[in-house]
Amino acid sequence: MKREENDAFSRCHPAVGFVFFVGAIGLGAMILHPAYILASGIFAVSYYCLLRGAKGLKLVALSIPVFLFLTFANPLVNHDGQRVLTHVFGKPYTLEALIYGMVIAGMLVVMLLWAGCYNAVMTSDKFMTLFGGVIPTISMLLLMVLRLVPNMIRKIKQLAGARKCIGRGAGENATRREKITDSLNVISALMTWALEGGVITADSMRSRGYGTDKRTTFQLHALRRQDAALLIWMGLLAAAIIALIAGGGTAADYTPVMNITPVAGRRVWGFAAYCLFLSLPTVLYVKEAVQWRISRFGI
Amino acid sequence: MAHFEIRDLSFSYASAKGRLSLEHVSFSVERGEYIVLCGRSGSGKTTLLKQLKPVLAPAGKRSGEVLFNGVSVKQLSERDQAAKIGYVMQNPDDQIVTDKVWHELAFGLESLGCDQKTMRARVAEMACYFGIQDWFHRDVANLSGGQKQLLNLASIMAMQPEMLILDEPTSQLDPIAASDFLNTVRKINLELGTTVLITEHRLEDIFPHADRAVVMDGGRIIADDIPRNIGKLLYEQENPMFTAMPTPVRVFYGARGEGRCPLTVREGRSWLSEAFPAPPRLTSLPEEPLEEDIPDPALTMKELWFRYEKDSPDILRGVSGEVPAGSLCAIVGGNGAGKSTALKAICGINRPYRGKIKVFGKPVEKYKSAELFNHCLSMLPQDPKSLFVKKTVREDLEEMNKDKARVQEIAELCQITALLDSHPYDLSGGEQQRAALAKVLLTEPRLLLLDEPTKGIDSFFKETFAQILAELKQKGITIVMVSHDVEFCARYADRVSMFFDGQILTTDTPQRFFGGNSFYTTAANRMSRHVFSHAVTAENVIDLYRRNMEDEG
Repeated sequence: MKREENDAFSRCHPAVGFVFFVGAIGLGAMILHPAYILASGIFAVSYYCLLRGAKGLKLVALSIPVFLFLTFANPLVNHDGQRVLTHVFGKPYTLEALIYGMVIAGMLVVMLLWAGCYNAVMTSDKFMTLFGGVIPTISMLLLMVLRLVPNMIRKIKQLAGARKCIGRGAGENATRREKITDSLNVISALMTWALEGGVITADSMRSRGYGTDKRTTFQLHALRRQDAALLIWMGLLAAAIIALIAGGGTAADYTPVMNITPVAGRRVWGFAAYCLFLSLPTVLYVKEAVQWRISRFGI
Repeated sequence: MAHFEIRDLSFSYASAKGRLSLEHVSFSVERGEYIVLCGRSGSGKTTLLKQLKPVLAPAGKRSGEVLFNGVSVKQLSERDQAAKIGYVMQNPDDQIVTDKVWHELAFGLESLGCDQKTMRARVAEMACYFGIQDWFHRDVANLSGGQKQLLNLASIMAMQPEMLILDEPTSQLDPIAASDFLNTVRKINLELGTTVLITEHRLEDIFPHADRAVVMDGGRIIADDIPRNIGKLLYEQENPMFTAMPTPVRVFYGARGEGRCPLTVREGRSWLSEAFPAPPRLTSLPEEPLEEDIPDPALTMKELWFRYEKDSPDILRGVSGEVPAGSLCAIVGGNGAGKSTALKAICGINRPYRGKIKVFGKPVEKYKSAELFNHCLSMLPQDPKSLFVKKTVREDLEEMNKDKARVQEIAELCQITALLDSHPYDLSGGEQQRAALAKVLLTEPRLLLLDEPTKGIDSFFKETFAQILAELKQKGITIVMVSHDVEFCARYADRVSMFFDGQILTTDTPQRFFGGNSFYTTAANRMSRHVFSHAVTAENVIDLYRRNMEDEG
């Protein structure tokens, strides 16, 4: 998988990314208001597509059936609500439950998209930069475990390929029993291999002084003024949104009686803050593109 | 004061029941020296190197002393050992701890608790010195073997050690990457004054530049002298280590030359020029022509095209060629040219999207998998370890064939009878290679494919391996091997093909193939081409030299 840090937001200090995603996912989980979920969805899709290009649309397209399924499934298990549309299996299928399903499904899909963005932006080295200093041993361990998995997969492929070339290993018409015996063989070989490699890695670590002193962490990313400014900006917006949530400004009930707080009056400001917060990666992206054109072509 | 001094060191592994792996070893290393430690596999080189850095030393009984700057290494703190004595191991992959290049470079400094400013400066400095800046942000998983080993070296040099110990660092690399790596080590020694102690199979590249060579055999030091004298000494002792000497040295003593022994190709050329001021009478050995039309080829490839993914570039771009039955064909070519991919295509692991492969005249897709890999086709993969799945070599072989007599027979052929009850992972590289070959041979193939069979094997095992291949050929088995090892191909192959840009460009006999090339050829050919034509092995040159000298005398 090739990950290039080719957008302005990814290039920010990892703390900016981390705070943003904690905010986007954490706040998103607290709000069941359709307007907010829709806003979050728009910004998640736009940023995800900017990150992944045409491939990004694949996940978006994939999330539509998930969304529809969850929407229509909810009324089958949740029968609360006043406006009965029809009866399924003798149970009421209500409009409230349908809308509630739509909101829950929307929230889930949006979270999924943000998680996709997180994956692309917050690479493991950024995670290490943030937490390597705080919990050096655990983050080191985590890093090594994460590295182990793709290594294992590569080795399984190599083993299976080698066995196929000598006519061993389960072919297309092997019985289930043969397949199981063969996988056991491969797994046991894999374990020996991993142990052998582990001993060398441990030697290599000790030989480079692992555990002789208190570890420091190499900071690849320096915290610049822009990063600090962004952190403060996000902090202010988040405070405004939390105040809004605490004041019941985003309250929405669906069953048994539908009651959605309208986005009006002073609550508009809260909604604006939420949109400004979530649009940050997209805005940075667009801003950079515009700046580049101006500097390049003087337009 | 010597930088490192080893006094009367003996060592036996805890599991060896008193058998000594090192016997009364004494030698010293001066500050800034470049020392090559050579010896066959199992002669105790690695055991000795590990004693120099106690955190790596295995459990066992030891006597004698190892002094570093006049102080016993045992009194060095782990921190000092880490910072002052750098140690690069064989396997490029397993030494790497983290997942990013920049992080790996910083790993040692992080462990020593360096502050940000020093760390930044050192990492930047090392990245530039080793030319790593272009792949500084990459995942280590995407690096080539040569890049990985360079990264291992750089991450150790970032700690600015006084002493660098390298244990067969290039055994897993292709020749071009290996010689890049060794040049970097030499540069470090020359430019930074770091003391270097290195063990290597590929003496050709480093022997001439070393200040001293130390030869080990059976846990003892049998020679410790400047390289030029070592060749003479080994020749006079008729030591099997002599076969590992650089080609000019072997030619010089083999031909009983006069004057000063040449160490490099350049010196070899001037030595030959002096020996033959006028062109010699006999300039080439009789050659056999290449058979152009091949009746009943064992393998036919016609216009193979292959790519890994729909929109990735083509790896094979019209590979065509025929392999006569009962011959040993070598395919040589650069890294990433697609040689291994071509072998996998023949096995059916990679399916070409265009073109035809015929094995013994029958299209490969017409074979059933069981039929193809039994009594027909078999492949020895690049890493022999990937064939071992059992606890002992015997069990591994019996997985292929239950017939104990047959297993015994093959084990004898591959000279591994003494190793049958060992764990496959406890064998040395050369032994693993032969055990894996035995396992492959138990499928009773008529066409045997070998992927880089001589990688990481020392010169003695190579000879044994060549003998085994010769015996197989006598039994009528066709062998196709892909290799970087031009010396091996020149000496043992019947036909050599050049793989370049996804296709086979030329095929010829080794004499004419390597004799016609000026760069991609053997050291023997490079040193003798101005006097003899088409002499591609040390034996060829010795033969021609002697015949001409006899005429004169």
